[in-house]
Amino acid sequence: MKNQNTNISEEYKYGFTTEIDNIKAPKGLSEETIKFISKIKKEPKWMLDWRLKAFNRLKVSKEPNWQKPKYPKINYQDLYYYSAPKSMNDKPKSLDEVDPKLIETYNKLGIPLTEQKKLSGVAVDAVFDSVSVATTFKDELTKKGIIFCPISEAIREHPELVKKYLGSVIPISDHYFATLNSAVFTDGSFVYIPPNTRCPMELSTYFRINAAETGQFERTLIIADKGSYVSYLEGCTAPMRDENQLHAANVELVALDDAEIKYSTVQNWYPGDKDGVGGIYNFVTKRGACRGKNSKISWTQVETGSAITWKYPSCILQGDNSVGEFYSIAITNNHQKADTGTKMIHLGKNTKSKIISKGISAGNADNTYRGLVDIGRKALNSRNYTQCDSLLMGNKCGAHTVPYIKNKNSSSTIEHEATTSKINDDQLFYCNQRGLNQEEAVSLIVNGFCKDVLQQLPMEFAVEAQKLVGISLEGSVG
Amino acid sequence: MLNFKINSNEIDKIGKFTKEEKYFRLKNLNHFNDIGFPNKRNEDWKFSDLKEIVSKNFNKLELKLEKSKKPKIDFIKDFEHNYIVIINGELTYSDFKYEEKDKIKLQPFINEDYSDSKKHNPLLNLNHALSDKGYFLDVKENYKFKKVLVIYHLFTEDLDENILNSKNKIKIGKNSELHFLEFTINESKKNFFNNVYEDIILEKSAALKSIYLQNDKSFGYFHKYSRNSLSSDSNYTSFIFPTGHKFNKLDLEFNLEGERSECNLQSASFLDDNVHQEVKTRVNHLFPNCKSYQKVKNVLNAESKGVYQGKIFVKDVAQKTDAYQLSKAILLSELSEFDSKPELEIYADDVKCSHGSTSGNLDKDSIYYLMTRGLTKKESTKLLVNGFLNEVVDSIKSNSIRNFVKNKLENQFINEY
Repeated sequence: MKNQNTNISEEYKYGFTTEIDNIKAPKGLSEETIKFISKIKKEPKWMLDWRLKAFNRLKVSKEPNWQKPKYPKINYQDLYYYSAPKSMNDKPKSLDEVDPKLIETYNKLGIPLTEQKKLSGVAVDAVFDSVSVATTFKDELTKKGIIFCPISEAIREHPELVKKYLGSVIPISDHYFATLNSAVFTDGSFVYIPPNTRCPMELSTYFRINAAETGQFERTLIIADKGSYVSYLEGCTAPMRDENQLHAANVELVALDDAEIKYSTVQNWYPGDKDGVGGIYNFVTKRGACRGKNSKISWTQVETGSAITWKYPSCILQGDNSVGEFYSIAITNNHQKADTGTKMIHLGKNTKSKIISKGISAGNADNTYRGLVDIGRKALNSRNYTQCDSLLMGNKCGAHTVPYIKNKNSSSTIEHEATTSKINDDQLFYCNQRGLNQEEAVSLIVNGFCKDVLQQLPMEFAVEAQKLVGISLEGSVG
Repeated sequence: MLNFKINSNEIDKIGKFTKEEKYFRLKNLNHFNDIGFPNKRNEDWKFSDLKEIVSKNFNKLELKLEKSKKPKIDFIKDFEHNYIVIINGELTYSDFKYEEKDKIKLQPFINEDYSDSKKHNPLLNLNHALSDKGYFLDVKENYKFKKVLVIYHLFTEDLDENILNSKNKIKIGKNSELHFLEFTINESKKNFFNNVYEDIILEKSAALKSIYLQNDKSFGYFHKYSRNSLSSDSNYTSFIFPTGHKFNKLDLEFNLEGERSECNLQSASFLDDNVHQEVKTRVNHLFPNCKSYQKVKNVLNAESKGVYQGKIFVKDVAQKTDAYQLSKAILLSELSEFDSKPELEIYADDVKCSHGSTSGNLDKDSIYYLMTRGLTKKESTKLLVNGFLNEVVDSIKSNSIRNFVKNKLENQFINEY
């Protein structure tokens, strides 16, 4: 999964014609900008109307301010909402110009040189041809009737599906950033799994051909029709260089009867330097709806990057017997801030949810788990289990737990537990005694602490994620 | 919808004040008038929409109350005790027959702290603006109370859509110890609102034990904000059995302001009818080596709603903190609701902090077991609920008081279920 963005020569397949290379969208947020984006994406009229509706809503909605990490005010008129793919001239000429810290991390993760160049945004010609790999997969998927394409393509080619499901889980009026995304989203993935189909491979942005410029406002829509199964991977373990400071993606999942969606994320965007300068603001809205009976949605996330991570992948358990799961590791170091958790909204009968959250903070970081478990009046015999553990390293960081627990009927059971502690000195001593140095010992202990979540990751991710956990905490102990 | 705004000349009706005090009261009154009763958009009132509750149940809120004639009080006979009698929030008389008089000072409360006029809690603002009654109990250094002190809170039958604002203060001097029982007796048959501000100060090595208990059901809407300051080596244990008010919110703040101070809070309630009850706590660990323990148990029947909002805050210097928070709820009825928000905010690493929160029905296997032994379903439920709540009562050390509390609670429970 290291080389997520390996397909340089793919732009043309997406309607990115060469002529837009030098076109810049008008600066700032306005109707013109939205019309411009819609035009470039060759969208039908209904899509533009939808965006404009969101834009009108945006005018009256306010940015939320209840979150723990505060950030400087964003001037939305000072941003570009559509940037054409970077020309070669703007990019660093060679790896020498790239932050040596970044290179060091690549080496530790064992990423080949060419991929390092790609990831750090160095201008290179396409060296390895992943096109063939991608197309092979694409053939196999098409045979099964699975649709996996950029969302802009889906808007043109599968309008009936997009119309039906887009905004049905995250309505355009949801909250400020979701609305902003609805108005200006530039790209993202669309997945449709037909009834009774098991997706033969783990889908990932890696295979998606336009992955090169994901853009700051990504929109993902995944629909699992009756009796189907899909596992989707987002992000990669390697640190990504990115020009955009604000990321406000929306991810919508819909699971119909007996369907299952597994969504895994590894996020390792630029967290800013040691003093907390720079870094990405990752304000993401992720929500899944278990619409059908016996459906299941499972979120797994490993959040190690970004200056501020602010997201709550949620499940709306509408169908009877549906299941929601949330497994999360959030690691914050230096001046990083994370405010993450989940919402489990039980509406159907016999619904079950499980939340396992592991937060680790070191340096001057702040890590908050914020979650909601809401069992409605009609959600009889429902069950929730929540466990959130925090690990603190040093006395300059903070760990916080803010769970909201609502139980509205007597046949349901909710259990919640949380602990906060530091790494046990005896454990460290024991590891040291067996010849592990301080950092190896910490990495080992933290990996043990996170084991419950790491186990949930697909094979490809799991091994790298383990390494990542160790690397993210380097220099935080001793 | 009742739009409850208070004219500033109400302040003049209460009494004559210094310029400074008048300014303080006016400022707080303006804060209250700006916001009115808090609604669920206020994070602290997320689960208890007081605006809605008040406008549903009150046509007016009368500030003025005619002085009522002294009603007769049924004193507790189960154990010997000193007592203070408070009628409708007003200190009326007291008796400290078992104690050394020069060690204790009791007087009506006079507020001289005009610093707090922040816009945090509209009800606190309301209290600051309009409070006109209350008491101040000062226990001098090195004195241990020989007998328990019972504070009788009596609400008379002439209360009718009144709002009472009172301020109380208890100060326990160095090395002193006090055990008190707050006992509420209600004679009112109408709605009324009781808004209390309480200040409890424990000096070095002081110890305080308190029990909060009600004799009967009432149509009272209660809100109490209590600020508790604990100096080093002090110890505060509080038992709360708040059952029977229409609405009850206890907003308790514990500041552990000295090393090795300890606070211990336990609560057990059986909620019935359409009672709405919230226990909100905030424990601030500000110094190292402090301990805090909270256990809140609720049993909910009929259409009752229970809320627990607890927060543990650990400052970066407060190493070796040991903090624990547990909330357990049993929902007996389809229409009852329990919401909780157990929160941790921790900035020190060498700490042991944990919390747990559960809610659900009684264990079916246990009921089945009891029924196989010949008990009816109702009896089994009663037995299990009793066992659940008695865990808290059993940690009261004094035999006579424990039995007294147990009886009171069981009576309430038997009458209601």
